[in-house]
Amino acid sequence: MTEAPVHPSANRRFSGLLRRYREFALISRDPALLMSLLFCGIFLLLFVFFPLARVISNGFFSPEGAFDLKYFGRYFDSYYGRLMREIFWNTIQMGVFSSVLGTLLGFLFAYAVTRCQIPGQRWVHLIAMIPTVSPPFAIALSTILLFGRNGLITKRLLGLDYNVYGMHGLVFVQVITFFTVSYLILRSMLERLNPALEEAAESLGAGRYHIFFTVILPLLIPGLAGSVLLLFVEALADLGNPMFIAGNLTVLSTQIYLAVIGEYDYQKASALALVLLIPTLVVFLVQRYYVSRRSYISVTGKPTSGAVVEKSQLIRWVCIGVTYITCVMVILLYATVIYSSFSTAWGVDFTPTLRWWNDALTRGVEAILDTTFLSVVATPIAALTGMVAAFLIVRKQFSGKEILDFGSNLGGAVPGTILGIGFVLAFNKGQEVLATIVYAVLALFFIFFASPSRREQVLILLLGTGVGLGLHFLLLGLDMAAVAYIFGGVYLGLALFSLARRQKNRASILAAIAVYLALFDLVEYIARPIAAASLDLERGFLSNAIYQFADYLKTPFQLSSTLLGMTLLMISALLARTEDARWRLPLGIITLALPCALFYQDMPLALTGTPYIILAAYVVRSLPASVRAGVAALQQIDPSIEEASQILGADAQYTFRKVTLPLILPALLTGLIFSFTRHMTSLSAIIFLVTARWRIVTASIMSDFEQVGLMGASAYSTIIIVLVLIAIGLLNLITRRMLRGRGDVDISIGA
Amino acid sequence: MYLTLDKITKIFPPRGGATEVNAVKEVSIEIKRGELVTLLGPSGCGKTTTLRMIAGFDFPTSGQIILDGKEINMLPPNKRDMSMVFQSYAIFPHLNIFENVAYGLNVQRVAKSEVERRVSAVLRLVELSGYEKRAPNQLSGGQQQRVALARALVMEPKVLLMDEPLSNLDAKLRESMRTEIRRIQRGLGITSVYVTHDQIEAMTLSDRVVVMNKGLIEQIGSPMEVYRLPRTRFVADFIGRANFIEAVVISGKPGDLLVRVYGQIVHLSKVKESYAEGARLTLIARPEMLRVAAKGDLPGVVRRASYLGNLVDYDVEVGGQLLTAVDTDPRHTAIYAEGETVYISLLADCIHVLPG
Repeated sequence: MTEAPVHPSANRRFSGLLRRYREFALISRDPALLMSLLFCGIFLLLFVFFPLARVISNGFFSPEGAFDLKYFGRYFDSYYGRLMREIFWNTIQMGVFSSVLGTLLGFLFAYAVTRCQIPGQRWVHLIAMIPTVSPPFAIALSTILLFGRNGLITKRLLGLDYNVYGMHGLVFVQVITFFTVSYLILRSMLERLNPALEEAAESLGAGRYHIFFTVILPLLIPGLAGSVLLLFVEALADLGNPMFIAGNLTVLSTQIYLAVIGEYDYQKASALALVLLIPTLVVFLVQRYYVSRRSYISVTGKPTSGAVVEKSQLIRWVCIGVTYITCVMVILLYATVIYSSFSTAWGVDFTPTLRWWNDALTRGVEAILDTTFLSVVATPIAALTGMVAAFLIVRKQFSGKEILDFGSNLGGAVPGTILGIGFVLAFNKGQEVLATIVYAVLALFFIFFASPSRREQVLILLLGTGVGLGLHFLLLGLDMAAVAYIFGGVYLGLALFSLARRQKNRASILAAIAVYLALFDLVEYIARPIAAASLDLERGFLSNAIYQFADYLKTPFQLSSTLLGMTLLMISALLARTEDARWRLPLGIITLALPCALFYQDMPLALTGTPYIILAAYVVRSLPASVRAGVAALQQIDPSIEEASQILGADAQYTFRKVTLPLILPALLTGLIFSFTRHMTSLSAIIFLVTARWRIVTASIMSDFEQVGLMGASAYSTIIIVLVLIAIGLLNLITRRMLRGRGDVDISIGA
Repeated sequence: MYLTLDKITKIFPPRGGATEVNAVKEVSIEIKRGELVTLLGPSGCGKTTTLRMIAGFDFPTSGQIILDGKEINMLPPNKRDMSMVFQSYAIFPHLNIFENVAYGLNVQRVAKSEVERRVSAVLRLVELSGYEKRAPNQLSGGQQQRVALARALVMEPKVLLMDEPLSNLDAKLRESMRTEIRRIQRGLGITSVYVTHDQIEAMTLSDRVVVMNKGLIEQIGSPMEVYRLPRTRFVADFIGRANFIEAVVISGKPGDLLVRVYGQIVHLSKVKESYAEGARLTLIARPEMLRVAAKGDLPGVVRRASYLGNLVDYDVEVGGQLLTAVDTDPRHTAIYAEGETVYISLLADCIHVLPG
């Protein structure tokens, strides 16, 4: 054949590179595909990998920038050592107890629901779901109300002097909070367990207990292990419950919180975050690459139809008993939250009052509206990004797919406090280097589309970037509003130029950009009178709500300049693709230069204090649930359905819109529900990101607990639960309408 | 040639710990306009990969695909003007029958009246008129199959690709769909590539059959050629049943070949090649080319006899080897039982010979 290669290894490396290039060439044949890949990649780089890298590295450097292991050293120190190690072991202990007990409870629950013909099965399921739609500290709150120093049960009913604060209280709260996760995992496994296996064992003469211990349990081991690991991580990461109920006990998450809020010491917080990150990351990797591959039960299969019924009455009644007791406990805990929000002073004066609700809906309305607004905005972003990422992961072959899969799950898996610290460290100042990397990637992508000739590509890149940087220095003194007007004018000119050449579609997109840019400042003239009018009203719910609304109007139009630059560059690339050969060089340079100038306007990516940083945190947190729902749905769909669309002439974008998306609509809606719930109830990830301008209910309760008080916190928690339930109801209603007869949204897919 | 595959090779990169897979090796096929060519082979032989490369779902690692004079190696599937009928039918479950068939026309933004005209014409062709408003899951398997066919035909493609389209149907339906596909393909004169592992399907449908094995082409030829003159042992074995009998040449003039088989001398009159004396040969004898009788060339013992009504199927042990023989006319010959001694005669003018 051909002559033998001189360096086989070099040859192999080269062919690997060639393959990668060819993959890239293949994907780039479909611009929509390439763009969605870029979008997901950049999003993960900016909001998952970069912040986490910042947290990890920050623990090793003093504020002056010197390498410093001070806080790691404290674990071995004679002065701090004992306390530091104690906190660490407390954390691990709490995690182990919570995860094992939570899994046990989850298993009994799942067994009762699937195998024991439990009366009121539907209600039991719904009750088990309640903890997932409530703020993270609600259970701790009501546990204190019931069993605390002034607890309704301990003090009033039993007259005990019981101390609920500490490890036992914390573990109890964590078990109730997180057993649902375990219940959902094990329930779906039990449902998919082939009944024929048990029948086979029975026909071979095995008794119920024997079958249980030799067939059912071994088959469930991956699920049980997965559940323990997941609960362990959740318990470790949780901030809300330990803050309320741990008492004198400190765990890592609260220690980190105090390092930031109390000492404002980010190096210490980062170092501790790394200590917390290591066990969670280990568990995440074990779960991902070991447990999930050991599963004997295909999770993607349809539930088996033949239901198995537990024949041993003893097992049956034990399961049912535990399940009912837990249900009663959950209802009691949540009823307490609601009841206490209407009582004057818990434990002392139970006279009904609307005082706390009145407070929440007047003084607190800003936080409530901010939370709802940001959650609503982030929800479709998270769900759609999740579906696109799932599509890329399941259907496309490209290098770096593992990274995309890993990254989209990582952001939700790491403890929220760590992500929050990462966001603060990453976006509290200008990140020129990061912005330049992103710009370089996008600019390469842009020139690739703007011209087929290598020479023109280089020209566009150099001149476009040069002109862009020139513009940036030229406009240095101007504020963003003026820049937006000027650029809007340029885009309007481009739109007219396109119109003159009878390119209607292009002209309308360019005109839309122009209008959008003009609105950057124009929206102020709409928002200001509304805000002013609200001040004339009597202070209360309405006036506050209208005032906030004026702010929300501005949010979509006053995007931070670097983010705006990214968006414009992507749109421009798609527009540049179909430009005529005669104009593509000058137009390419202009449409590259404008976003380039925007990239460096202001401090690039200094997002702290803006609503966008909270939105990004929300999306990062809820992405895994959407991705998982999307992946599960896509794996059920025969890939040849999409191929059929393709060979009938449709490109990736058309196929995704007309075939894939309608088919995974149930998953999309599940993603929406999960995302919204996760946003509304998240605390740890955003607690360091809130400002006076953008306030989040959960964070406000935590930081202003002295002012808000137990009853106030109950009122806020109830409001969150109600809002989440309304959203779930609405989305379910929409789903029913859209899917007429295509089945219920399965709320358990993403969990 | 209308569609040419020129030395197509496909190597799948190593994935998940597995080594790289060379699925298709230097495959060359030339297909004339209007011809129906079948890719036939066992699973894993590379036939589906070859089809997917023609469709554009996979891209050849090397080699060229040329359609109508233009190289289309890296052209994405949506730009190839081909359509495909999938093994799973791949009917869009969220669209009704009309919308399914009209899908490709709507992608091309064909005018609405034109879409209606063409869809109803093609539905008439596959005998599904009146089903326009039905949902896919309201149709039987055979009807779904015809929707998939209609959806491909309505595009008036340059090439129609079919990936085991009948494998999900029951035997009876498969037979009738086979003739249906043949009728429509002939009638419209569409160049077609058909993938199957079912040799009967390949024999009844195709103008030419491409027999593939382990990524390589074993033989290309008309159904009659691949049956009568198999180029390799694999082809002979895969298409129909065959006995492989070892023979040694005694005298090897073309048209007058004398060989020794199981110690007996046999005269083969139809072999065109000449062979050196003493050369080893393999005789390929189809079961119907072996006659079982009370007298004949080779003595043997019946080890199995299955009476099937229109024929009797025998396994006869001859010289330590089990030979399969079929008596196609059991009404006029004797039927032998297991353990009986019989004689086997080779129908010398039908026997095909392979060297080695």
